Amino acid sequence: MAVGLSPKMQAFTQEVFPAIIGTNRKDGSVEIVPVWFEYKDGSFWINGGTSRGWFKHLQRDPRITLLLIDPKEMFRWAQVEGRMVNWAEDPGGDHINHLSHRYLGRDYQNPRTGRIKIQIEPLRINGSIDGWR
Amino acid sequence: MAGAKKAPALSPAVRKLAALPILVVVATKRDDSSVQLNPVWFELKDGFIWLNSNTNRTWPKNLQRDREVTMLLVDPKTPDRYAQIRGRLVSMIPDPKHEFIDRLAHRYTGKKFRELEPGEHRVTFKIQPVTVTGQMI
Repeated sequence: MAVGLSPKMQAFTQEVFPAIIGTNRKDGSVEIVPVWFEYKDGSFWINGGTSRGWFKHLQRDPRITLLLIDPKEMFRWAQVEGRMVNWAEDPGGDHINHLSHRYLGRDYQNPRTGRIKIQIEPLRINGSIDGWR
Repeated sequence: MAGAKKAPALSPAVRKLAALPILVVVATKRDDSSVQLNPVWFELKDGFIWLNSNTNRTWPKNLQRDREVTMLLVDPKTPDRYAQIRGRLVSMIPDPKHEFIDRLAHRYTGKKFRELEPGEHRVTFKIQPVTVTGQMI
């Protein structure tokens, strides 16, 4: 079951830093990369191209872990265990452009075609924002 | 050495990043193979990545079981510059006098490590980098 975020966590997700996502490779190892994200309507949303390794991993195994960490104060962090519940094409790149405004304050500069947006349902949260487990 | 496969040395860009007092994100796998991510103190020395933990925490248990770990270093000034390092656990070294964790504490806080909690045992993990990918290769 999806979990809601505490007020502290909701405020933390409004801060501007990339999420670090962990997915399972086919060979059993873990891939971790930073990506742009937003938290909205009870879900985490990320954006990518269909050729990204992590998206292929998620199609095979929808489990995903996000680490949110303040790059300036690294003791402020939260680990979100979640699951990809949906993905959809991002026609015209509206979502990546929206994320570009969140992170860079300007329009997305790269090609906006072939992008998808991914919806992640949070299932469990721990870390220093809500206090230690 | 005949037959010995030497891991690639880390690039100057990665070594420069690793010299900063930033945390490394450590990815391990839980029993159910889901991914666990933790920010962790570390040191890069002699070509190895050194971590230290309380043996009761989850990520060290995962690491001992799998002996494999993926680590991520992110440039704090430019978060889209990062290095993903896949590594292998070479050895575990008990740290009964807390020497290594004190050394890490100095690197990050300028002070000795806090007093240990009752029943807390520290152990140092020596990790061999195997592959490096990302924007800073």
